[in-house]
Amino acid sequence: MAYISQYQYYENSGANPEDANWGSYQYVSLKDIVNNFMLMYQGNHSLVNNEERYKILFHAKRAVQELNYDAFKEIKALQLNVDDAVRIVLPADYVNWVRVSLYENGVLYPMTENIQLTSAQAYLQDNNDKILFDEAGNVLKPQFSPIDIDRITGTKKTIYLNENSAYNNAEGYCCDGIWYFDFAIGARYGLNTETANANPTFRIDAKAGVINFDSTMSGKSVIVEYVSDGMEGGDNSLVTVNKLFEEFVYSYIQYSILDNKLGVQEYIINRARKKKSALLRNAKIRISNIHPGRLLMNMRGQNKWIK
Amino acid sequence: MIDTVRNTVLAILNKNNYGYLSPSDFNLYAQQAQLEIFEDYFYQYNTQINLENARRSGTEYADLSKGILEVIDLFSKTAQLTQATANTNTYTMPSDYYLINRVMYGSTEVERVSQSKISMLNASILTAPSLDFPAYTTEAAKMTVYPATINGDTDITAQYVRYPLTPKWTYNTALVAQGPVFNASAADYKDFELPLDNLNDLVVKICKYAGVEIRETMVVQYSQAEEQQNNLQQ
Repeated sequence: MAYISQYQYYENSGANPEDANWGSYQYVSLKDIVNNFMLMYQGNHSLVNNEERYKILFHAKRAVQELNYDAFKEIKALQLNVDDAVRIVLPADYVNWVRVSLYENGVLYPMTENIQLTSAQAYLQDNNDKILFDEAGNVLKPQFSPIDIDRITGTKKTIYLNENSAYNNAEGYCCDGIWYFDFAIGARYGLNTETANANPTFRIDAKAGVINFDSTMSGKSVIVEYVSDGMEGGDNSLVTVNKLFEEFVYSYIQYSILDNKLGVQEYIINRARKKKSALLRNAKIRISNIHPGRLLMNMRGQNKWIK
Repeated sequence: MIDTVRNTVLAILNKNNYGYLSPSDFNLYAQQAQLEIFEDYFYQYNTQINLENARRSGTEYADLSKGILEVIDLFSKTAQLTQATANTNTYTMPSDYYLINRVMYGSTEVERVSQSKISMLNASILTAPSLDFPAYTTEAAKMTVYPATINGDTDITAQYVRYPLTPKWTYNTALVAQGPVFNASAADYKDFELPLDNLNDLVVKICKYAGVEIRETMVVQYSQAEEQQNNLQQ
């Protein structure tokens, strides 16, 4: 893609949306990647030749996907309200989650992933516990399983130290004249730190495509931070790669093709593999932005007295 | 160039005044010879590339592939393809094409995909043809472009190598004693389209065909020996 003018960059040449090109200089488009590879790394006198463009495109996209999973620091965030079934549907381009937070009273509360099962499928059964089927022989299923109903209605207890805890508000200690066995009072000897969190919990049902929450979350606002695969819903014109990773993408494509090609000497494949790995390391270091100013701020904490 | 070629051929054939070649026969052989040399350029180009890869070719004046490319590009042509059926993604291939080199949708290159791959490619989530990365297949004289949304009547242009036009040595109809007189102003006159350095090849090849026609073994042998010599040089 050609360089754009300042006017195009800042105001999209007067067209909508105005912010279409903001920050675009950091990125190189998929089309440019494929075009550059075909031009510079493929040909009569190159290691890669006589390869179809769709193969280059495939490996380029695979490289972008892999980078999106862990190397890019491009975390998407989506805010949604939890529905009546105490769940939200995963974002359309969701691949993996980074953090799920409750947003309440202007404060973000990071939530804990529940280590226990919070949702299940169920089959309809008769009085003798026999599974029921329809005329086509398919098993009949209720909309919600009993565990889901308990979770939605708030009768399901949790091992976490929030208000669904089995001991929450249970009598145990006398405090100011009232008996409590509340998690927030008293010493917690033998505490299971893994579950010692007062915030609501969530659990991701990847196959069902939802995030299930505990009943306290009904109607509340949730912010999901997640990573996608960078495929932008299949719109090739929107797929981009940070320029710091551009050379890695070329070497990834080159390696992938050589690795699958008949008759390529092992030393050439190894050379391509090492180049790819080295470039990925370099790019990761670069994008981690380790520079003196940032290090200085981090190191300032070293002289702080810990009481 | 065609008159020079014809005169040379006649001079070689003219043994005891019976080696005459009629204009119509000459034109037939001229077309065949030109086609043969034209096709041979592509094989020569491939040979040169292999030599380059083996570091057995030089640069600058020793860069033979560059010269071959220049000759092939003499036959390069870019044309808009006509739609086979209105509002569909099928287009008719040019009638004079020898080799389709590049198909363009606007400024985007359309990739040729074999018939055996196109259904899998269309089903692929990562590499399905799109407006950014379109593809085409060919069947008989038709080209089908993917995605099917590319269906405008002026959407597709092709850069291709065309066949050389048929050479024709034309002459005045008024007969003179020495035979027909060359007329380069005739409406149907067509010179060879190959560069001048192919003059020798054209003479040799036409002599080969003419030698067979007049049953002259020496001419055929001479032509074959010349061809072998040329092949060795290449």
